[in-house]
This record gives sequence, C-alpha cells and structure tokens, in this order.
Amino acid sequence: MNDLRIINMEKRYKSAQPREENSFMLRPVRLAIREGEFFSLLGPSGCGKTTLLKLVAGLLEADGGEVWVGDENLTNVPPESRRFAMVFQQSLLFPHKTIEDNVAFGLKMQKVGKPQRLKAARGMLEHVGLSGFGSRFPDELSGGQQQRVALARALVANPRVLLMDEPFSALDPGLRVEMRELLSRIQKEFRVTVLFVTHDRDEAFALSDRIAVMGDGKLQQVGSARELYECPETTTVASFLGLRNILGGVIENGHFASTDQLIEAAVNRPLANGDYFMIIRPEALKTTESDQSGHVRIQGIVQEMKYSRGMYSLKVKAGHQFMECVLTISQAEKVAVGEPIDLFVDTKEVWFIKK
Amino acid sequence: MKKHPRFLSLFLFIGVFIFVIVPFVPLILTSLSFGWRWPDVVPQAWSLRAWEYVVNDGRTWQAVGISLWIALIVTAINIVLAVPAANALMRYRVRGRWLFEAIIFAPIIIPPFISVMGIHLTFLRLGLTETVLGVVLAHIAPTLPYMFRAVMISYQTLSTDWEDQARMLGAGAMPRFFHVVLPHLLPGILAGASLSVLISLSQYLITFIIGAGQVVTLPILLFPFISGGDPGIASAYSLLYAVIAILALIIMDAALKRYYQMNKASQNQSKGVKP
Repeated sequence: MNDLRIINMEKRYKSAQPREENSFMLRPVRLAIREGEFFSLLGPSGCGKTTLLKLVAGLLEADGGEVWVGDENLTNVPPESRRFAMVFQQSLLFPHKTIEDNVAFGLKMQKVGKPQRLKAARGMLEHVGLSGFGSRFPDELSGGQQQRVALARALVANPRVLLMDEPFSALDPGLRVEMRELLSRIQKEFRVTVLFVTHDRDEAFALSDRIAVMGDGKLQQVGSARELYECPETTTVASFLGLRNILGGVIENGHFASTDQLIEAAVNRPLANGDYFMIIRPEALKTTESDQSGHVRIQGIVQEMKYSRGMYSLKVKAGHQFMECVLTISQAEKVAVGEPIDLFVDTKEVWFIKK
Repeated sequence: MKKHPRFLSLFLFIGVFIFVIVPFVPLILTSLSFGWRWPDVVPQAWSLRAWEYVVNDGRTWQAVGISLWIALIVTAINIVLAVPAANALMRYRVRGRWLFEAIIFAPIIIPPFISVMGIHLTFLRLGLTETVLGVVLAHIAPTLPYMFRAVMISYQTLSTDWEDQARMLGAGAMPRFFHVVLPHLLPGILAGASLSVLISLSQYLITFIIGAGQVVTLPILLFPFISGGDPGIASAYSLLYAVIAILALIIMDAALKRYYQMNKASQNQSKGVKP
C-alpha cells in the first residue's frame, strides 16, 4: 500500500514568536490519502491550501511534521528525489524546448535513453489528445493545450503522487469543464494518487473521491462531497460550501427554537440540550407542499430573484434574517419581488451544528 | 499626423550622420594624406604611408591580439562572477543588499583612476604589474557592473516557479541551471558580454598604469601618436580600432541572432509538419 500520509505538518510565519497563538500559516495537518485516490484541498484563497501542497512537495520547508508514502519517510528527501509530480496554475512549459522534449524532461532527468523517452512522451501526448503536436513549441499552443502538455509531462515519469495547484483556474469556464473530464479519465486510467488544490467547489465536487475543506490555516473537515454538503461540522465549512441559511438557536428536550423566534421545530435526532446552529440547504426550501406534516413554515418577503440555469435563486427576508432558496420555474411563477412568501422546509432535511 | 514621425526620422538620421559618420571623414582623409596643413580644405598630396606603417608593423597585430585576448578573458571572468552574484542577490534575502549592489556598481560612478592607484600598489607587491593577468584583473572593475546589471535584470524576469517545476520533474541543481536558468539568462549574458568586450577594448588609463607599457593593447599603441606624434598614423590606428570594435559587436550580435534563428528555424520546420 502506497498511501500518502501527512503527519502533523505545520508552517509558521517567519517573523512571529514561536509560541504565539497566531503565528501559524498552517496549523498541524494530519491526513491519509489512499493510493489511487483523488483528494482535493478546498478553501478560499489564503487558507493555507497551497502552503500545504508545497510542504508535501518539499518546495517549502515545514516547521514540523512528516510526509510518508507507504513505509518510506520522505520528510528529509529533496523534492527532486521524491518522485512526486506537480502541475501549477501556469503550464510552465520550457519555452526553448519542443513539446516532446518538454514531456520527456522528467525521463531525461532519470537518464532514460532518448528513443525510449521520446516514445513515452509521444504515447503520453496521445493520451491527452495532442498527438502530432510533439515538434511544436509551447508558444504555438493555446492555454488549454499547454495545460494538457503540463499534465502529460507530470504523468510521463509515473509519479507516486500527482500534486495539482489550481491547474485550471486560468482557463475559461468551458475549457475548465473539458479539462476536468480529461483529468478524471486519465486519473482513473493511470490510477495515480492525486492531491488537488482548488477554490472552486464545483471543480472539487466533480472530481474528488474525498475533499478536505480548509479555512484559517487549518483543516476544517474531511469527507466526500455529499458528507460535506449535507453534514457540515462547522459554520465555516457550511458557508464556504454555499449553505448560507444559518440560524442560531437553542435545542431543549428535542425541540429547536431560533433566537429570533423565526422557527420552532421538532428535532428528529437525539441531540443533547444546548446552543445550536440550524443549517437549511437552499434546495430544501419549497413554496408549496401537499403534505405539510413534519414541515416548518417560514414567512418572509422576497427581496431578490435571479434566474440561473433553469432555476430561480431567491433572497427572502424572514424576520431579521436573509434566507436563500432555489425554486423551479413553475414554483417561481407565483412569486414576485416585494411580495410575501411562505416557505416550507422538511425537518428531516435540516442539519444542526453545535455552537 | 503622419508627417510627424517621418520628420522625426529625418531629424534622427541627420543627427546620426553628423555625430557618427562625419567624424570618420577627417580620420579617413588624414590617414590617406601627406602633409595636410591649414588652410587646405582637402589634402593636396595623397599617400598610403600611414597605412603601410600600421599594417606592416608587427606590434599592431600583436596589440590587436592582446586587446581581444584580454577582452575575452575579462568577459569570461565577468560571466562566472556575475551569474552567481546576481543569483544570490536576487533569489535570497540578503541583508544589506544595497551595500553589495553599491560595491559592484561603484566603478561606474567613481573615476577608475582612484581605484587603480590603490590596485597598482597592491599589484606591485604581488608582482602582478606588467603582466596580462594583472591587466585582466584590473579590467574587471569597470566592466563587471555592466555584466552584473544585465544578468540581474534577466534574473528578475525569471520566476522561481520554473525552477520549482523542473525540481518536481526530478531535476537536481545542475540540470536545473543548464536546462532552465541558463537559456533564460543567455540574451542578458550576451548583452552584458558585448558591453564588457567594448569597455575592456577601450581602456587606456588602467592598462597603462597596471601594464606599465609592457602590456601593449591597441589604445596603448595608439595614444603616443595622438598626443603629438603623427596624426596620419594616429588616424589609421583609430580607424583600425573602430573596425575591430564594430566587428566584435557584430559577431556577438550575430551569435545572439543565430541562437534565436535556430529556435525559429526549428519552429518553422515544425509548422511545416502540421497535420
């Protein structure tokens, strides 16, 4: 088993005192990534995800912690000897080398003979759909093609782990979706372990087996896309994933009451008494419900209506709180800005986070 | 609106003509004349005497050889010094970086005479005066700043991401330098080398003091004729010097162009293979 294990890796700001609480760029991270897994680090910019990636790569020196692959400790191995590969945001193809030579570079460094490495390079270029481009120079290729070459170059030397630092964020949206599909296909084909950094939730959700949400220089939660979206552990994770309907309140004897008295509902999970946040997914809010048992009604006034991709997203003011919900076209037909609206939510679909 | 640039280019052409081409005319005339005196506008008698002297004197070609040899070695040493220095100053957080830069750039600002007097004393003790090695070492001071500046600017435009990328592909320090850094620095190095060669070729005072007349470069040979010797021979030497300097520039420029053309040629070739 060649799992990638990150054991308590941390990075501090250079200038700060070592024992100070706010001196962390990255708080100790502990992660185990299975061989062949597609694992994403998701978080807003400045949350430490690229720092973690560079620590794993060895391009940054950690202030503590270890990196293991299988039973090999790579902490003190220089990056060029770790047999990791990395794709950056820019393609970083060597401008004075042909595409073929660029792709073969990793094998050249491993002292593989020229005919052999060029053959391997051509084969890999075929995999990324660029056969016949081998003798061109990087500046003759489009941005998407360059990034595909960068992917081929990273994979040709059969790396143990492929690290990717927002590789598609410089591409336009249509191309990004195309690249996602390509990457997904190639990752399954080569069964390579991928550690992927992104700030784009859709990208992380579409590609990953598991996702780690990062924020404020630490790991917030690790899980599959569905686990994260339906059962976030903290309000930071919830709001980063687009769950902005967060109501503070108290649970007492299986009954939740929000502090602004907007919602009172029965809790159908055994939760101890105390202060909680109630999270309502925007999709869980509906305007009409034939069977209203087990549903809670929220009254509000529509503030904003926006059309996007076959759905309407609404901003509703309920009490002092703004609620976001997504409605189908037929539901939205009876709704207008400035009008009152009744929203229903199934109590089975809400999620509670302890304060 | 359209006439403006044309007007300007005409102006520029006249300026270049007056300041660059015209000074060569009396030089050529003097070198080919015999007893050209005031108030004659053009020489009355012509002669190849000066050129015969210059071309046939063995010292001339020896001086040309030594001048170029010194310029070449100085430039090579400059490259070896400037690349690591620029690397260190641009890539690492060096404390008192401005001080290092000030020291390297000082010879441009401070007259060379001042430093050479000190160098002379030291070289006397070390027995380096009157040797080519001593002259080479003394030439480094006024030429290194130009080489350093050119390489430094090349380094500024090279993001460390490139080296990180090469590292992640398994390249150690040496392959990283030769495959990634050097190709990027090459145009800068060549620009610095052109300046270094030209400045080394034109040194008189430093060569004179350190070489003490034993290391005869072209300016050393030329000077006595200018300062009251024979204006005809001085003119011939000046022209020879100009030709050599221009040739050196052209050769280096051609080398750089060939480097780019090589890339371009293979690019065009690949365009032909396009499916």
